[in-house]
Amino acid sequence: MGKLWVILIASISILLPFLGNAFSPESPTDRRVLVLLDDSAIKSSHSIYFNSLKSRGFDLEFKLADDPKIALQRYGQYLYDALILFCPSVERFGGSIDLAAIIDFVDSGRDLIIAADSNASDLIREVGTECGVEFDEDPSAMVIDHIGYAVSETEGDHTLIASDDLIKADVILGSKKMVAPILFQGIGHSLNPANNLVLKVLSASPSAYSANPKSKLSTPPSLTGSAISLVSIVQARNNARILITGSLSMFSNRFFRSGVQKAGRKTKHEKSGNEQFLTEISKWVFHERGHLKTVNIKHHKVGETDEPSLYRINDELEYSVEIYEWSGTSWEPYVANDVQVQFYMMSPYVLKTMSHDKKGLYSTSFKVPDVYGVFQFKVEYQKLGYTSLSLSKQIPVRPYRHNEYERFIPAAYPYYGAAFSMMAGFFIFSFVHLYSK
Amino acid sequence: MARSLAGFLVLLLVISICEAASLFQPISDSHRSAALELFTLDHGSFKSLEETYEALRTFQILGIEKKPDVTSAACRSISETVGSSSSTPKDLFYALKANSIAQCKIHEKASKGIISSLNAAVSGASSLLDFYYSVGGLVLIKDQSSNADIHLADAEGVFRSVKAFSQSDGRWRYSSNNPESSAFAAGIALETLAGIVSLASSELDQSLISTLRNDVSKLFDSIEKYDDGTLYFDDKLVDGREYQGPLSTTSSVLRGLTAFAAVTTGNINLPGDKILGLAKFFLGIGVPGDAKDFFYQIDALACLESNRVSIPLILSLSSAVISVTKKDSLKVRVTTVLGSNAPPLTVKLVGAFSSGSKDASLVESQELKFDQGSGLHILNDLPESIDVGSYTFVFEVVLQEPEDEKVYVTGSQTKAPIFVTGLIKIENSEIAVLDSDLGSVESQNKLDLAGKNAVSLSANHLQKLRLSFQLSTPRGRAFKPHQTFLKLRHESKVEHIFVVGNSGKKFEVVLNFLGLVEKFYYLSGKYDMELTVGDAAMENSLLVAIGHIELDLPEAPEKAPRPPLQPVDPYSRYGPKAEITHIFRAPEKRPPQELSLAFLGLTILPLLGFLIGLLRLGVNMKNFPTKPVPATFAILFHVGIGAVLLLYMFFWLKLDLFQTLKVVSLLGVFLVFVGHRTLSHLAAASAKLKSA
Repeated sequence: MGKLWVILIASISILLPFLGNAFSPESPTDRRVLVLLDDSAIKSSHSIYFNSLKSRGFDLEFKLADDPKIALQRYGQYLYDALILFCPSVERFGGSIDLAAIIDFVDSGRDLIIAADSNASDLIREVGTECGVEFDEDPSAMVIDHIGYAVSETEGDHTLIASDDLIKADVILGSKKMVAPILFQGIGHSLNPANNLVLKVLSASPSAYSANPKSKLSTPPSLTGSAISLVSIVQARNNARILITGSLSMFSNRFFRSGVQKAGRKTKHEKSGNEQFLTEISKWVFHERGHLKTVNIKHHKVGETDEPSLYRINDELEYSVEIYEWSGTSWEPYVANDVQVQFYMMSPYVLKTMSHDKKGLYSTSFKVPDVYGVFQFKVEYQKLGYTSLSLSKQIPVRPYRHNEYERFIPAAYPYYGAAFSMMAGFFIFSFVHLYSK
Repeated sequence: MARSLAGFLVLLLVISICEAASLFQPISDSHRSAALELFTLDHGSFKSLEETYEALRTFQILGIEKKPDVTSAACRSISETVGSSSSTPKDLFYALKANSIAQCKIHEKASKGIISSLNAAVSGASSLLDFYYSVGGLVLIKDQSSNADIHLADAEGVFRSVKAFSQSDGRWRYSSNNPESSAFAAGIALETLAGIVSLASSELDQSLISTLRNDVSKLFDSIEKYDDGTLYFDDKLVDGREYQGPLSTTSSVLRGLTAFAAVTTGNINLPGDKILGLAKFFLGIGVPGDAKDFFYQIDALACLESNRVSIPLILSLSSAVISVTKKDSLKVRVTTVLGSNAPPLTVKLVGAFSSGSKDASLVESQELKFDQGSGLHILNDLPESIDVGSYTFVFEVVLQEPEDEKVYVTGSQTKAPIFVTGLIKIENSEIAVLDSDLGSVESQNKLDLAGKNAVSLSANHLQKLRLSFQLSTPRGRAFKPHQTFLKLRHESKVEHIFVVGNSGKKFEVVLNFLGLVEKFYYLSGKYDMELTVGDAAMENSLLVAIGHIELDLPEAPEKAPRPPLQPVDPYSRYGPKAEITHIFRAPEKRPPQELSLAFLGLTILPLLGFLIGLLRLGVNMKNFPTKPVPATFAILFHVGIGAVLLLYMFFWLKLDLFQTLKVVSLLGVFLVFVGHRTLSHLAAASAKLKSA
């Protein structure tokens, strides 16, 4: 019996590290998502979005935000890989979830999608603040745009916005061009300028402002113009990804199916860009795009294949690394022309762009500087929308040994000549001195 | 309960954001296309007969003709279920339900078999659902085969045993040992009882029917309400297992009510408002994304469309945005919930209120003209008193035939939010720099706010900037847009926004730079000016760049506030860095090789001179020992010296110090020995010579 227990505990402790990890290159397909809703009707009214996630292999678990049984972790292990907060009005989560639990969840490298709405609760605003965005403080404010609104038969207050001011990054929005504008109705937020991890993906037009559409304005609104962000993303330093938007309805079936015509334009699109936009961006958030990994980091002297334990100054060396991008199903070679390697000791001595073979292998060769000390090979790769790569490998560099310097320098020939002629003279003199009469 | 209430409210807000008075649209084509998307086939058929029924019923109600062809697959599975003796009443029930639409042929013998098995199930039933499936199955067989003579033997007894599940508040229990009552069960029970009534061979006791009527009105007393006037039923969430959600619960109650009303002759006394509220609830959901919810919505609406209690009529606007400039007319449509035409009626506009104010109505009551061709009620010209802005219009629907009032329910008054838009006239726009103390105009520029402007002004902190323009509505009245901002943007992207105030038609903003220096962070330089004028009612909302102003502000004092941090452009933050290549130390300068060789030659010269000198002196070897033994030692001595010199040579070329010292120590001993013998011989020879 005792033995059985030991085996059981041992097998659990072996298995545990593989359960409940965030996105990891080892098991990138294991994605369980907790969806917290204000009301179960959202499950049906936003079903196209949820179905698109399900069809990509995500295991969605729907819970009401105030369900007393919800928990993000059990026995110290996270139960989910991502969290979707579609509960803008929740004042307090049920179960063990609170603001700190959500922040810890993100700190563990897991992903988060937040959709707020007008009348968003303080709790949701606080989650936003922790992520580096500030929702408009006025609870009744909405984003209004009297120039870039979407023409609608039923709504005339210009809070339904057709926006197409998107970030230019294929990694975030996919390579297919967004043709139709994106419908948005909700609250705006601004980004903390000191936070360089948060990015505006969809920004409002210069004519937009955030105010209560029903009351007259006497003081300037706090958020105006393209400083208003409608949809923002965060990529934390641990590669956790967050999507923040002030509109829950932009995920709804109604907006997905609705046609869209931007005011002042002739073209009427059959379908709004919401579905494409939100599906593409969810691919980014859930690491189906823009997640890089490196393997086979190698360096050696030119003409050799083994990695030396140290280099001598002025050696010619080759450095190579393979970089792959996760495509949702497999690791594909990553192709870019801006991957750089540094040979670094306190500051970079060499910084060189690596060339690639289009199959993910990046390589370069350079000469070790004539300074000895402990160097590092460093790859600090940061690109908009991609996970950052930070590789460093320490390698010492030694000076020449005494016998590695140049021998028989021509400039020293007179000295050699002098010494040897002296020796020859001595040899002859020894005869002359001893035997001459 | 509060949770789902709050949650559903959010959902409804999605549909009718920011509008206190909301309108509901009847079922339209968007439902039809959604239905085709939602009910999708799995390998040529639906997953279950229940799903088949739901899909077929939805397609039937919506009148979709291009539906996927499932009849053959459905018929196969229906006849399998019906023919199998192991089918439960539930399977039979859904098979028959699906068959009621698919119209497959059921074998006579199989049909006899199910009648007897269902009859047995009725008599053996103990829970509400058992009764529901078995009675429902019998009703369906009766409807489908005209010749079958189906009667419940003891209809009244069955009726009483079902009635035993009812509770005092109009809700029902699922079984006698389950104390929880639910509205969902009430709907099921009503449908079952309606089935029993239709199956009864003789008239049932009227007192039973009338108590049931009381139950129905009690059930409707427990109806729940949203702020926008929609009504629904909901059950308390007990353990979640039998909890259905408001949509299916309300749908079930409506189905039960319709079935019950169809089989009883008397009138069920329910207020029309409640039926209308339920209709609004189902329409307010929009298009559900779930096939089950979709079926519940459509099925409930079909029940509302054809029930005997009262049929709700829905008023909808073809457009809530009406342009004065384009002379749009107000178009109203009155239909049933599924969008079919209403009976003859008149629509009256009884009031119009400017939103946000509680003043008296702006219009007198007037009737809308009915257009036979389009089925719309039209008001061609908006009254003169309606200017641009947002309004709440109040409509009243009056049925023309008094008979119809018993059948239809219209609701007393319908409020609809209307936005009246128009082109706003912009005049007398100008911008000027004023001298502060005198108020005299230094430079004045006319602006064309509809076109392009490139004003270039300059001012110092003692001057003022004045921007003014006039706005008037198409009807010539003053107009106050929601958004009138003047934005000044410094080169460093620091922005300042000012609201342009108005008095009547005239809008003016005066910026006194003396009071603003602190707010401007003492930043001198070029400021771009931008004017935004916009309103929901303004068709020509504008965002124009006016030009720029060169501000000359005083130097910032030490404790002045710093301008806020501006966001960094994300594109510039990333990207490759400039390459760095190491600059190697330059090799030391060396003389040319020729020079070294020339000096090498020079170093040989003294040796040559030495040799020539020796020859000139006439050196000889006469002193060399002649005797063999000393001669040998002398030769060995010189060979030794040569060897030492050669060793030096090797030391220079390749040997290290230790190897060299080893050889030198051996050679040294040898040299001392042979040297001593040679020198002592020479010394002895010279001493002999001297003495001789």
